[in-house]
Amino acid sequence: MRTWSLLTAVLAAAIVLGVAAGHDWASPADLWRAIDGDKSLRSRLLVDWRIPRVLAAGLVGALLGLGGAIYQGVFRNPLAEPYLLGSAGGAALGATVALLVPLLMPQSLALPLLAFAGAWGATVLVIGISRVAGAVDAAGLLLAGVAVAAILSALRSFLMLALSDETVSLQVVLSWVLGGVQTPTWSALGLLVLITAACLGLSLLLAQRLDVLGLGETMAISFGMNVPRFVALAVLAGSVVVAAAVAFGGLVAFVGLASPHIARWLVGPLHRPLLPAAALVGAIVVIVADAIARAALPPAEIPLGLVTAIAGGPFFILLLARRLRT
Amino acid sequence: MTAISADKLVVRRGGATLLDSLSLAAPATGSIAVIGPNGAGKSTLLKVLAGIERPTSGQVRIGDRDLAALTGSERARTIGFLPQHFEPHWDLGVAELVRLGAERSGQPAGEAAQRMSRTFELAGLERRRWSTLSGGERARVLLATVLAVDPPLLLADEPAAALDIGHRLDVIAALAHRGRERLSIVVVHDLDLAFRFFDRVILLDRGRIVAHGSADDLIKDSRLDDVFGVRFERLSTEQGWLLSARR
Repeated sequence: MRTWSLLTAVLAAAIVLGVAAGHDWASPADLWRAIDGDKSLRSRLLVDWRIPRVLAAGLVGALLGLGGAIYQGVFRNPLAEPYLLGSAGGAALGATVALLVPLLMPQSLALPLLAFAGAWGATVLVIGISRVAGAVDAAGLLLAGVAVAAILSALRSFLMLALSDETVSLQVVLSWVLGGVQTPTWSALGLLVLITAACLGLSLLLAQRLDVLGLGETMAISFGMNVPRFVALAVLAGSVVVAAAVAFGGLVAFVGLASPHIARWLVGPLHRPLLPAAALVGAIVVIVADAIARAALPPAEIPLGLVTAIAGGPFFILLLARRLRT
Repeated sequence: MTAISADKLVVRRGGATLLDSLSLAAPATGSIAVIGPNGAGKSTLLKVLAGIERPTSGQVRIGDRDLAALTGSERARTIGFLPQHFEPHWDLGVAELVRLGAERSGQPAGEAAQRMSRTFELAGLERRRWSTLSGGERARVLLATVLAVDPPLLLADEPAAALDIGHRLDVIAALAHRGRERLSIVVVHDLDLAFRFFDRVILLDRGRIVAHGSADDLIKDSRLDDVFGVRFERLSTEQGWLLSARR
């Protein structure tokens, strides 16, 4: 219980920090006035601009943490991550197609759909390659994932070079690739809340079976599980979560890898507490990273994906080194 | 009543025949040791009987039903499987592991978990994580996890092979003792333990049953020497026969 109170308190503090941070820092008094209904430009900017963005960043982070926890659970590997397994790269390729190729459906629909198709397709491809190569263990999966991610990234760059012109700004796609939460409208934020809640609910349905799968394939079968069917289902669920995160936040590295680790240290490895804890940690991490992205080099904004990679990479190496030492 | 039977089981993997038209039948109670040299097909037989691997041909029946036709949860409630090696991917706590075992019954897990905790004396271990347990403690926790649903049929694949002699005796005795009320089929590495603790012994070689019968009869059978490629000296002691092998 103490851990949950702590996580919630840190999340609240991160939200306050996130709303205050920017090239023009807001004081607690500014924040209070803005929430209290003050109509000045500064207050309106805080309410209509920063608060939705911070909340969106938190929700994208929650999705990334959740996606990472599902992937690590289903691959039974603490190094599994939406990035390393190609699913985020697949989602980004799908999103790039949606942004650059004229399609018959509106972009608002095409983007999440293609992001999902890309995430799912890439993961299935990685699993397929490692099976054909006869290396279904963690190393085989990760190597296949790295190869697929590299191919997808090259394809994405090719599409960007070949298809962008004056009518389609490369900037839009680039800001996507580098990761970044756009300020959503309140209705878009509502949609994101619903999607995140649905993803959390969906993943909690998998929690007990992820635990059983963690006992190893032989034990899982002897506990009555149809392992290939469950793995396919869980990968599909993970892809939905990753696609939602990528559709709203672009490519944000390391959050999906680090959040479940931190959550595991806080609440243990059982998935019923782990999944929501990973979501909370992911939300905190992305809110803080987004605040740094906005406040570090004013008036410019650093792409969020760069912040998480720069901060997350060494952080993760540190955690790993500590873990290996114990 | 026959609890489990196998009819003409064949398992081929990569050109090798691991089980070669093997048939057997076992009653609802009793303890059966499966022995044989390396590569005889003991582990494969157990995995096929447990529904973990599918045979290339042939059928396993649980009671009067085809094993392949059971739902996952029916199979999980009916057959307990103790693997040769068990290393969970996440460092779960003892209570969490036993609870996961108990949950496969589909019933509330708390009561079964408590019962297992008493039976296997886990009270002092419940807050410990798997990685901190000794070999003997792990064996107890694994037994509690697998037996939490009290399955009518227990299949165990040399679960004690890596333990020191004291803990090995405890585990083998517990598995054999279970045969008084349920059916226990155990792959046993240590021939003395197989003949001393189990009612019946199945001798396996190259995917076939070479001999099977009561432990007292089989220990005198010369096929035992042939299959293991040694000459056994059979020493009569107060506790039963002891085997001493020579080339």
